[in-house]
Amino acid sequence: MDEFGSKVVELFTTPEYIDSLLHGFLLTLQISFFAILLGLLIGLIVALVDTSERSKWTILPKAICKIYTTIIRGTPMALQLFIMFFVIFAIRGFPQIIIAILAFGFNSGAYVGEVIRSGIQSVDRGQREAGLALGLSKFTVFRRIVAPQAIKNIIPALGNEIITVIKETAIVSMVGMYDLNMAAKDIGSGQNMASYIVPMFVAALFYLVTIYLITFAIKRIEKHLQKSEARG
Amino acid sequence: MEENILEIKKLKKEYGRNKVIRGIDFELGVGEKVVVLGPSGSGKSTFLRCINRMEEPTSGEIRLNGELITDKNIQRMRQQIGMVFQHFNLIRNLTVMENLTLAPVKLKLMDAVAAEKKARGFLRHIGLLNKANSFPAALSGGQQQRVAIVRAMMMNPKVLLFDEPTSALDPESIGDVLALIREVANTGVTMMIVTHEMGFAREIASRIVFIDEGHIIEEGAPGEFFSHPKTPRVQEFLQKVL
Ligand SMILES: Nc1ncnc2c1ncn2[C@@H]1O[C@H](COP(=O)(O)OP(=O)(O)OP(=O)(O)O)[C@@H](O)[C@H]1O
Ligand SMILES: [Mg+2]
Repeated sequence: MDEFGSKVVELFTTPEYIDSLLHGFLLTLQISFFAILLGLLIGLIVALVDTSERSKWTILPKAICKIYTTIIRGTPMALQLFIMFFVIFAIRGFPQIIIAILAFGFNSGAYVGEVIRSGIQSVDRGQREAGLALGLSKFTVFRRIVAPQAIKNIIPALGNEIITVIKETAIVSMVGMYDLNMAAKDIGSGQNMASYIVPMFVAALFYLVTIYLITFAIKRIEKHLQKSEARG
Repeated sequence: MEENILEIKKLKKEYGRNKVIRGIDFELGVGEKVVVLGPSGSGKSTFLRCINRMEEPTSGEIRLNGELITDKNIQRMRQQIGMVFQHFNLIRNLTVMENLTLAPVKLKLMDAVAAEKKARGFLRHIGLLNKANSFPAALSGGQQQRVAIVRAMMMNPKVLLFDEPTSALDPESIGDVLALIREVANTGVTMMIVTHEMGFAREIASRIVFIDEGHIIEEGAPGEFFSHPKTPRVQEFLQKVL
């Protein structure tokens, strides 16, 4: 027990260690943040293409989306990361962080697309019909009626996806990137058990707190959205 | 010559191999109140929904005031064709007031102030002015349907289509909704109503149209239709429901 205590003290008093942890944490946050943003953008496009009416203009985009989501959802994330790193972006000096963001963003986009698509489709058909029957344009019906109702269904599932991305980014340590996970392992390389367990616990705490805060924010947003339809 | 507001020629609607509307010719005169009757699954809803293209007709022509309804002009045409649904379909994320004013303001038929004033007048008339800022979920079914009817009236429609407006309501609210439809009818607006309320049909209709298996098989004035039905199919139907 003593060893643990002294290791915790050592961890928080050695500037080098704190520096490593914070650097790792920052990289985890950077990759996650931009990957989630990219995933949202791709997911939104995929969902809009998926839910659009069938016509000769949408056949090709629909097929592309279908292939994209099938491949992404049918292969392991780690493998997608390797392919991005060692095949598609096997370019010397290309910033690793960009490759990681693209890998996780493209991965997340397939799942976000599914979340948004099912959110849109779960809006009662009568809601759309009521708007169209009044002579409103498809665009206005989507913006004023379908989208606001779909968001209520989408937010909780989107929250889960954000959390998944943050945790999944830990695999960038497999391609040698210095994220929070890697920092924990790096600092911990020592002789006794305490010296590698403690940094891992601290890293776990970083992940936990981040995810707890996000969960909390999502719950707040959900509550806020629920309230806005219940007024008597 | 009486003026027709709707002229429908050779209307057909198929879902795959299921022929639901099998060639309907129909004319609707200004101010008429046509009640559409028929057994379940005969195509009454589909017929009504083809008129404002909630369902795309497979073939046939529909004219509103002589002008052919097409995919190109459908938005403008729908502004003149009000529709009241069985399940009300008030927009859940909008307040009662917003439900009434969204379309007329967005489509620039009125400015926001005029639309609100008109909406207030309607809501006062149906006794729901105190619900103006409520969301639909806070209203009973009967209240929602009455709001849905005045929402359609906000557009000053040339024709109003009702698809079983009281079928989803409890007996007590049915009376309120029928009373409002009666009032709307008295303003002279042209109407088509699908309903299973035979008493109301007889009372409000200027003409009854009976649909069976996608065809109009009999039509006539309500007195004649109910007391001397001509076809065996209608005789059988009336025996069951009356
Ligand atoms: N979207 C659809 N896809 C496939 N078939 C449909 C669709 N809508 C309606 N049908 C079919 O068309 C037929 C007529 O349906 P419709 O709803 O017009 O009947 P209805 O006369 O209104 O019946 P009810 O009195 O029960 O409301 C039914 O057999 C129904 O299954
Ligand atoms: Mg029906």
